[in-house]
Amino acid sequence: MVAALTPRFDLERFGALKVGSPRHADVLIVTGPVTRESRPRLIRIYEQMPEPKLVVAVGACAISGGVFAGCYNVCGGACNVLPKVDVVVPGCPPKPEAIIDGLNKAVEMLRKAGR
Amino acid sequence: MDPVSLLAYFVFPGYAFLILMAFFLEWLDRKTLAKIQDRYGPLVVGPSGLLQPLADFIKLLSKEDILPTGANRGVLTVAPILMVALPLTALFFIPMDGRRALVCFEGDLIAILFILIVMALLVFLMGWASANTFAAEGAMRSALQMLSYEIPLALTAICPALMAGSLCISNIYASQARAGLPFIAFVPPFGFLSFVVFLICSLAELERVPFDAPEAETEIVAGWMTELTGRRLALIRLGRNLSFLLMASLMASLYLGDPLTFRVAWLAPLAFVLKVLACAVLMSFVRGIVARLRIDQTLRVFWTYMIPLAVGVLLATKLILTLLG
Repeated sequence: MVAALTPRFDLERFGALKVGSPRHADVLIVTGPVTRESRPRLIRIYEQMPEPKLVVAVGACAISGGVFAGCYNVCGGACNVLPKVDVVVPGCPPKPEAIIDGLNKAVEMLRKAGR
Repeated sequence: MDPVSLLAYFVFPGYAFLILMAFFLEWLDRKTLAKIQDRYGPLVVGPSGLLQPLADFIKLLSKEDILPTGANRGVLTVAPILMVALPLTALFFIPMDGRRALVCFEGDLIAILFILIVMALLVFLMGWASANTFAAEGAMRSALQMLSYEIPLALTAICPALMAGSLCISNIYASQARAGLPFIAFVPPFGFLSFVVFLICSLAELERVPFDAPEAETEIVAGWMTELTGRRLALIRLGRNLSFLLMASLMASLYLGDPLTFRVAWLAPLAFVLKVLACAVLMSFVRGIVARLRIDQTLRVFWTYMIPLAVGVLLATKLILTLLG
């Protein structure tokens, strides 16, 4: 994820920026398994984002829980917790190119939904 | 109104030009920062990403508008509009065509300083009205910061006015052309010192790195902007770009007047815009090379170094001018 934002891959080329507040965000990127502790927080952050919003699950852990699936404290991936996950980027860890491709697909989806 | 002055108010150097310049400055800022960090910066929307700020603005306009429970609807509706209107008003006092501002009267420098204070108060009000801990914390910091930078800012802005013998920005700019040298080169090192203090105060006024504690995204979410979404955020961002333009052009007109381009009708506007861009790049450059100060460090920088320095430069300027007669 860091590699996608830093010089080599630079997501800002496409206009994407990392923002501090969920109120300013368009895309929620989940990067790890959802634990029982983090679950209510994840849902709360999702609810704080203004519509239209997208969720991208990056990596095997965020999709299904990955190697942590089935642990006593893990509720699975983002797909098990959030109402919708628009794009999944598989891999452990996924390559930065894959993350950029996933985000572009997310934007495409938004464009199609707008029509 | 006759068509020529209508054109001046609405196209150049009026609304259309100012708003386009504001978007252009945001692009320039992002590009400069990206260059320093060895990245490309915006590249896809429009030629070299030139339309990115405009695209962001339109996107924000179309987003959902959320007003948190307990937030003050009135303040959060009016303040973003004022955040755009006030810097626009102030920009009308700046001689954007390199000669004479659209609106100029004796004392418009004071009017601009007043507008800057009102904007800082609006920021405080907005943070307070958001009913959010992070926003309130950001608002507190912003108010504290205002208490520290306003005094040296006003003191240093008076130095070029002293030399010009006028409080009208157009006259100050013109007097540097008459004197034959920009105020930044006034009896070294005093003109330059004054410029440096003004630059540092501008960075604090704009809440840019290293004085961005009021909106420190890594510690207090987004400071006083935390709860703003959609149209409100779009207006605030436009307003912040306009203030960036305002401070850059104020810097250009107070410190960078020159006798060469002033007399040539077509060159004067071009030269002025280039000076503004140079000031903006300078501020972006600082953003790229320094880290954030804590709010107490910001206060210490201003109260222990900037204010005495500003007073010293002001006294020295007055003394030199009296001696030179």
